[in-house]
Amino acid sequence: MNIFLHELKGNIKSLIIWSFITLLFIVVGFSKFSAFASNPDMLAILDGIPKIVLDSLSLNSFNLITVTGFYGIMQLYFSLVLAIAAAMWGSDFISKEERDKTVEFALTMPVTRSKIITGKALAAVVSCIILNLVALGGTLVAAQGYNPDSEFYTFAYLSNVALLIVQFIFLALGIFLGSAMKYYRRANSTTVSILLVTFFMYIIAGMNEKLGFLKYFSPFKFFDPLEILHKSRIDPAFVLLSVGIIVVLMAGAYLTYSKRDLYI
Amino acid sequence: MNIYKHELKMLSGSIFTWSISIAAILLIFMALFPAMAADAELLNQVMAKMPKELLTAFGMTDMNMATVLGFFGFLFIFCQLCLAIQASNYGFGLVSLEERDMTADFLLAKPVSRFKIMTSKVLAGLTALLITNLTAWVFSFLSIELFRGGRSYDSSILVTILSGVILFQLFFFTVGLVVSLMMRKVRNVTPLSMALSFGMYVLSAFGGLVGDVKLENITPFKHFESAYVINNGHFNTSLVMLSAVVIIISVIGSYILYARRNILSAV
Repeated sequence: MNIFLHELKGNIKSLIIWSFITLLFIVVGFSKFSAFASNPDMLAILDGIPKIVLDSLSLNSFNLITVTGFYGIMQLYFSLVLAIAAAMWGSDFISKEERDKTVEFALTMPVTRSKIITGKALAAVVSCIILNLVALGGTLVAAQGYNPDSEFYTFAYLSNVALLIVQFIFLALGIFLGSAMKYYRRANSTTVSILLVTFFMYIIAGMNEKLGFLKYFSPFKFFDPLEILHKSRIDPAFVLLSVGIIVVLMAGAYLTYSKRDLYI
Repeated sequence: MNIYKHELKMLSGSIFTWSISIAAILLIFMALFPAMAADAELLNQVMAKMPKELLTAFGMTDMNMATVLGFFGFLFIFCQLCLAIQASNYGFGLVSLEERDMTADFLLAKPVSRFKIMTSKVLAGLTALLITNLTAWVFSFLSIELFRGGRSYDSSILVTILSGVILFQLFFFTVGLVVSLMMRKVRNVTPLSMALSFGMYVLSAFGGLVGDVKLENITPFKHFESAYVINNGHFNTSLVMLSAVVIIISVIGSYILYARRNILSAV
């Protein structure tokens, strides 16, 4: 419990900064949207386009002039920002003890190593949830000006759950690499490179249908906003896959950290 | 000279990794081009009939994925993203790493002025960026030659796009440097450089969605946008000047701040 509180307190500054970035992003996004909202000209244009064109651009149901459609398009950027924050926290929480030369002190305390991981992981999870709520709250407030309907609320809540799962995947990845990597300085940059690679996979998977299988490797592609909007549910297969990934990574983190040779 | 050599040696592993990644991005994305071009030609015929307002709204007027350069402009954004992360990593870490690792007081006890230390470090960082830059040049041409499949393209436009890279890198490098000097203590470089580079990227990517609101004009991703070059044959001069001004101010600011900096020491 002490570790949890200590970590959470130490992370407040970072949490505030990331919340600020997220809110700034919401403000910029919605100020762009204001040019579009309920613009009848745009609606007429959108109506005039053949369906096949819209399909090929995957714009089909994201009617850009409604706040729901707009939020759907923002999802990717949201998940990018929040996933980076989660990945940073995950790897940093573990490796910072060695970097700041406090690891000996922490480990002489009468707690097991796995307890330390648990405390740190919980603090990171809470930070992720707070950031997620900030994003959700910001969106809901910003959307008030555009008469959101009940469809919007369902969509916003569901996609934020999906967002939270993506955050947890990258958090678990960061914690695992922070525990498992022999050289603590590499943990941070390795986590980021994996995040980048999965982001590029997301782009490539969208470009060519033959490469669609790549979506199983990119958490950004796990939860398609379109599907969430249409079916009002999150694909359970990918939820299972995500849980599997998280469990494996966390088990790996506990195992490797308890055997870790510390860099002092 | 010793400092320069030492710095460059420290960066060598990172230069290697980043150059490989950029080469890989260029080759992998460009390898998708032949398949993409066939589809895109069909798509273009349909798109030609669409209202222009819509295309502008989605930023699709600028991109023609069926042409070599149109596609290259699209994939080059991801190269730029990597270059931005690398450059901001170097910028944020250039002097702050010494303090974090408690080696700054050792270095400053040597008979060299702070000005000289800074200059050697900046030059080492610059060399590292130039090596990566060179890789981007070589592999851009190589990947296009390998996968263009007989389609022609205007090489002078490609040269213009690539010549913007150095200023693009310098923007992130110098801004990272000056921000790290404004901070009292830099604990960890990666979150800072990620925030700077990804923030700028998201701002420009999102800005491309809808016209209006000119906030995205602060990001170098917009200053050195390939799509603009492809359409106009040159960069948007005033935006490039904006980048240049930011770079100059950051460099001067860094020297001033470093000369007056209170260095944390081990004891």
